[in-house]
Amino acid sequence: MTLFDRVFGGSQEMYAWAEKAVTEAVEKYGVDKEVSLPQTAYCLPCYYAVTGEKLTKLGEVQEALGGRIKSMMERKERLHNVFQAGIGTALAAEIIEAMKYIDGAEPYAEPYVGSFSDAWIRELGVPLVTGDIPGVAVLINAAPTKEEAVALVKSYQSQGIFVTCTGGICQQLIDAGYKTGFNVRVTLLGDEITSVIHVVSVALRAALIFGNITPGDLDSLMEYTKDRVFAFVNAYAPVDDLTVGCGGGAIAFGFPVISNDLVSLKDMNVPKSLILQGDTSKFNATSLDARDIKIKIAQVDIPVSFASAFEGEIIRRGDMQVEFDGSRKDCFELVCTKEAGDVVDHGFELIGPDFDAMEVGSKQQIAYIVNVAGKNMQSDFEPVFERKFHSYINCIEGVMHTGQRDMIRVRISKSTFEAGFRAKDLAEVLYVNIKNEFDAVVDKCSVTIVTDPAQCTKLRHELATPAYDARDERLTSLTDESVPVYYSCIMCQAFSPSHVCVVTPERLGLCGAVSWLDAKATNQLDPQGPCQVITKERVIDENLGRYEDVDEAVNKFSQGALEHVTLYSIMEDPMTSCGCFECICGIEPFSNGVIIANREYAGMTPLGMTFADLASMTGGGVQTPGFMGHGKHFISSKKFMKAEGGVERIVWMPKDLKDQVSERLNETAKELYGIDNFCDMIGDETVSTDPESLLEFLTEKGHPALGMEPMM
Amino acid sequence: MALKGLDIFKLTPKTNCKECGSPTCMAFSMKVAQGAVDLSKCPHMSEEALATLSEATAPPMKTIKVGTGDAEYSLGGETVLARHEKTFVSRPRFAVNLTADMDIDVVMAEVKKVDYDRIGEQMHAEMVYVEYTGDSAAYVEAVKKVCGIGKTIILGCKDVAAAKAALEVCKAEKPILDGADASNYADMVAAAKDAGAVLGVTGADINELYDTTAAIEKLGYKELVLDTTGADIKTTFATTVQVRRACLAKTPDRTCGYPSIVNLSKIAPNDEPMQIALASMFVLKYGSIIVMDTMNYARALPLYGLRQNVYTDPQKPMKVEPGIYPLNGGDENSVVLTTVDFALTYFVVSGELERSGVPCNLVISDAGGLSVLTSWAAGKFSSTSISKFIIENVEPKIKCRKLIIPGKVAVLKGDVEAKLPGWEVIVAPNEAVQLVKFLKDMQAAGEI
Amino acid sequence: MPFNGKSGKFNASINTVEIGCGEKAIKIGGENVYPFYTFDAPIENAPKIGVMISDLGLENEPAGVKAYYEGCSSFAEIAQKAAAMPGADFVCLKLEGADPNGENKSTEECMTILKEVVDAIDVPLVVYGCKNVTKDAELLTKAAEVAQGKNVLILAAKEENYKGIGAAAGLAYNQKVGAESAVDINLAKQLNVLISQLGVAPANVVMNVGTAAVGYGFEYVVSTMDRVKAAALSQGDAQLQMPIITPVADEAWSTKEAIASEEDMPEWGDQEARGIGMEVSTAASVLASGSNAVILKHPTSVATISALIKELV
Repeated sequence: MTLFDRVFGGSQEMYAWAEKAVTEAVEKYGVDKEVSLPQTAYCLPCYYAVTGEKLTKLGEVQEALGGRIKSMMERKERLHNVFQAGIGTALAAEIIEAMKYIDGAEPYAEPYVGSFSDAWIRELGVPLVTGDIPGVAVLINAAPTKEEAVALVKSYQSQGIFVTCTGGICQQLIDAGYKTGFNVRVTLLGDEITSVIHVVSVALRAALIFGNITPGDLDSLMEYTKDRVFAFVNAYAPVDDLTVGCGGGAIAFGFPVISNDLVSLKDMNVPKSLILQGDTSKFNATSLDARDIKIKIAQVDIPVSFASAFEGEIIRRGDMQVEFDGSRKDCFELVCTKEAGDVVDHGFELIGPDFDAMEVGSKQQIAYIVNVAGKNMQSDFEPVFERKFHSYINCIEGVMHTGQRDMIRVRISKSTFEAGFRAKDLAEVLYVNIKNEFDAVVDKCSVTIVTDPAQCTKLRHELATPAYDARDERLTSLTDESVPVYYSCIMCQAFSPSHVCVVTPERLGLCGAVSWLDAKATNQLDPQGPCQVITKERVIDENLGRYEDVDEAVNKFSQGALEHVTLYSIMEDPMTSCGCFECICGIEPFSNGVIIANREYAGMTPLGMTFADLASMTGGGVQTPGFMGHGKHFISSKKFMKAEGGVERIVWMPKDLKDQVSERLNETAKELYGIDNFCDMIGDETVSTDPESLLEFLTEKGHPALGMEPMM
Repeated sequence: MALKGLDIFKLTPKTNCKECGSPTCMAFSMKVAQGAVDLSKCPHMSEEALATLSEATAPPMKTIKVGTGDAEYSLGGETVLARHEKTFVSRPRFAVNLTADMDIDVVMAEVKKVDYDRIGEQMHAEMVYVEYTGDSAAYVEAVKKVCGIGKTIILGCKDVAAAKAALEVCKAEKPILDGADASNYADMVAAAKDAGAVLGVTGADINELYDTTAAIEKLGYKELVLDTTGADIKTTFATTVQVRRACLAKTPDRTCGYPSIVNLSKIAPNDEPMQIALASMFVLKYGSIIVMDTMNYARALPLYGLRQNVYTDPQKPMKVEPGIYPLNGGDENSVVLTTVDFALTYFVVSGELERSGVPCNLVISDAGGLSVLTSWAAGKFSSTSISKFIIENVEPKIKCRKLIIPGKVAVLKGDVEAKLPGWEVIVAPNEAVQLVKFLKDMQAAGEI
Repeated sequence: MPFNGKSGKFNASINTVEIGCGEKAIKIGGENVYPFYTFDAPIENAPKIGVMISDLGLENEPAGVKAYYEGCSSFAEIAQKAAAMPGADFVCLKLEGADPNGENKSTEECMTILKEVVDAIDVPLVVYGCKNVTKDAELLTKAAEVAQGKNVLILAAKEENYKGIGAAAGLAYNQKVGAESAVDINLAKQLNVLISQLGVAPANVVMNVGTAAVGYGFEYVVSTMDRVKAAALSQGDAQLQMPIITPVADEAWSTKEAIASEEDMPEWGDQEARGIGMEVSTAASVLASGSNAVILKHPTSVATISALIKELV
């Protein structure tokens, strides 16, 4: 027997049953008898959704069964036919159920619910769309014990998942005295397998109402249920052919089936669709994983408050229960990307003593490792997450966090400790925040906290340091040429409407706060957000950094205010500035170079303009050739005004700024032009603040800019 | 399209002589490009360079100066149609409509009651519009009454003789003679020229207005304003918008490049709410002088607020003065709240505090006119700046030692506490609207 | 040589959205020119005016508003009187009492009032939440259900709660969805994108791009609206072509200019005239910047703005 055989077998069986039911009804009521399910305008909703035809009379039902439905069950060994047969089985089941309601009968008495009204669907549809109901569980057959039935239902209920039950499990819940009903989101559909159609009907009507799917457009219908209705089936063993037939329908609509029937379904598993899970206690986890359901956590369950109001708290030495000090002990914080199979969601492990085993007021070591897995996770996001730890941990009442990587310091106050705050609570804070904030990319997350001294030392050297080094390496190795795309950033448009930053690996946002990796992460985490992909396929001029793609993007994101920008020139269509720039560079014609002023520098520059003067003409998203805002890091970039010759053109900057950038700038100058200690040739306010004396200084030092081609 | 600074620089002597007042030729060029300085300030420009530049730098819309002394105002000179493109430069001025049959002294006494400071700007009706009603002698008397009262005078008069007589009494104040039309423009130009007055041009419709203006330009007079008031509201709006749009178009029509006058007393007489509504529209859409029946607070509060908002330079935020602002009868025992000096933040926060009804002191320190998070990020709203201001200015005056800081800078709590011994620092909610409940709850709990 | 101005007519246009049912249904949007630029092309649908009433009744209203509703003893009567206000095109019921930081009325309580208002009037209705995003999620979702069949506009879905409100109003119960963002073109666009991804047709969405009273950072409002209209019309940006509705009454009447009594500010003169001044000035300004509908409350303001629109269109 193959799975195909069983689906076709089940569909035949269902067809025969339906045929019998309809024939009996026709004999009793005649072909003109009205047929309907209660309180729905969609007249046999599943049939209507699939075919676009409404069945209102017995004769029409009979015709549909023998015609359309029968033709769907045609036996061919192709996947398409199996799906068709599965859907046909479901439609036959709907007809069987409809026969139960004929002539105003009420086949289901409380606590059974049977068919759902349209009003219920609308009510249910809203939380399904919003994710407040993250999924719909379809439970079929009796569990091994009624306790197990209750446990599974409870587990789903606690996650907000809507539960529907068909078959033996209904009686088990009744026997256990379990409270059911639409309002508690656990419903008993019926004892017979055909009653499962009532939940299928929910999914299909939701597609019509919420998805604006045209009835009869089966492809769109299947796409909608697959992408938008997070239903799944748990079928307890033994699973008969009828159920398998219906299961074919479920799979056709994108609802995976999880079963513990290792005997009759042996070797029939289909990845993501039919999953055999012998351990019924894992039905919940397996189902959520198979259907990609992520459960939102409403609040952080820890013994003290968690709010941004605590972000600035300072824990003084005297109030401190324990301190973890990365400057004295081996401490670190790290996010590690793992394979999905290697991460147990919401897992927590403590290696070493908990806080209550630590001497009051002592300095200790700690390492917290957050393992994440997700289909869309990339190791480039690790530092983005890690940077958030500071604010997560600081938002805990009575906990203070400073520093990053392996130079962290964490203090826990006595009162917070006394309230019961322990390592697991720290882990919980990290877990909940990572899951909530980064749900677009994190499917699973677990936290390991290490307080054992030897382990902290070992892991710091063997795990953390190599990870940090690898990241730094990646950052420095990223070049504009080595990446496939750039990103736009329009975070500043609120006050600088036409400004668009083009962020490249070697040219971070001019505010200095958005690197290419940040922009990339922002884009992936919030695809509609301020950072959008800019392709770089159509080069116009490599040296200037002029691309058709970039021009198009800038034009679009500035709403037409900007037509062209270059990435590497300050003379030709330079990039605009919002006003957040850390620095401004401006052409100094007498020395044939540029000066740079940073925001902190209040004095005069050799251009005869202060930073504020420069800012007033450069900001606001306008292009001012010869002048440009940029970030501090950009100064030592090999792409800094590359079109005009690069960093060699820098003739002056404030001393403070020079000190900050000198090491890297010297390296760049050495690499590009073989100049040693380039910064010594650059003037500053202690040398000159007017063009004449600057020129003298530069001449004396033999600054290379003096011999370069004129800038204009 | 205005000329870029570097293009101007290329034509300067590049001597950095400083005679123009700027330290370098580059600085001078950039200022000229921005329109902040006139090219003529440089005494060393070559004739050739001047010719090249003055054509290119000539603005599409003329800046017209009217009035004298404190009542001198610049009109026009705009370069963009929407403020987000760059910035509007010359705010519209409000004129009060007067006729000879009014008791002008009484009317003006009322008008003068509106004279107040709003974030560093003195707000009052800057101009008077004296409408000619047929009696020349009475007209001259009326004009006499508005001479020397510190208001720019606009003569609404198409009668050449009456206009000349009126100009005779007020020409020292550089008035506007709003009275040239297709029939009288030649005489009016002569009268205006003689008196050194700016001439207002009217027309039965936009075409006549345009043709008359063109004809006046041919006579060599370009000290003009265009009275775009039409027969009704619709045509007035249409003419005002179209004229401005034409002069700021990609190929500017310089005949349209003059400031405008819209006279609401003509198109919505005696209807105060309608005049407020229309004045608001013309503040946004291209009125340079807006004439109304009168000026009182019901008109002034919204209109001057709107004008101040729309005519701020987007790059130079409005600031309020640092200091202690007691609200709801706050005294030395009332709780202290602090925020930044960005005018919008101040208004929103003080508004919510007033709604709470809780007596308090709002302390504003110099944060560079930036919003809370921006100033914090720029280091201008820090534990040091806050504590310094509190110690120097608040501690001597206020006894209460509870300080509420904005929720968005909760991170500062510890540092502020450390720098302000004896103070309890409390973190407010993130949004100003939440302050009402926050303060009321604190009050109910007896904490303040 | 007569004046030769180029027409500013665009190829793109603002979406037309219909609110309400039957003869008194209104259409907003549809224009392909800047606000009131009738000299470029006719304005497809004149901007509309709504009258705001509150579930808190008349207690907090200024004297002129109270006087207008004198004799009304139920929400039904207040709503009918609002609908009959000269110049009014629709009614806006604000459920401010639901605010957890205020009266914290239950959703059920508010729905009773809504039902009463829905049944009492035949003009289009706008249901306005309490501005608390969590409460609105519940309140407005329910409101969409209660007002079934009336084609009401639900104000508003925000970034924090657009899913529930958008799904209920735009999908489950076939109402119109208001999309509210905070005075920023990109936020407005982002929310429109999100709501359309939910499956709500663009023709069922109206934006509230945020507002302030004149004098209170109003330049941001002007620039946001200017830019939204420019992007919608000259760039043809379909995600910004939704018409704009602006609730003016709340902002205008909560300013110091409108609130300060004559005792406190004797030199300012008549308090009510100041409130009306703030309301008409703000309303005229947002209309000139591109709003397709405004929500006001004082009869004088409604009459004035109505007359203004008639004159201009």
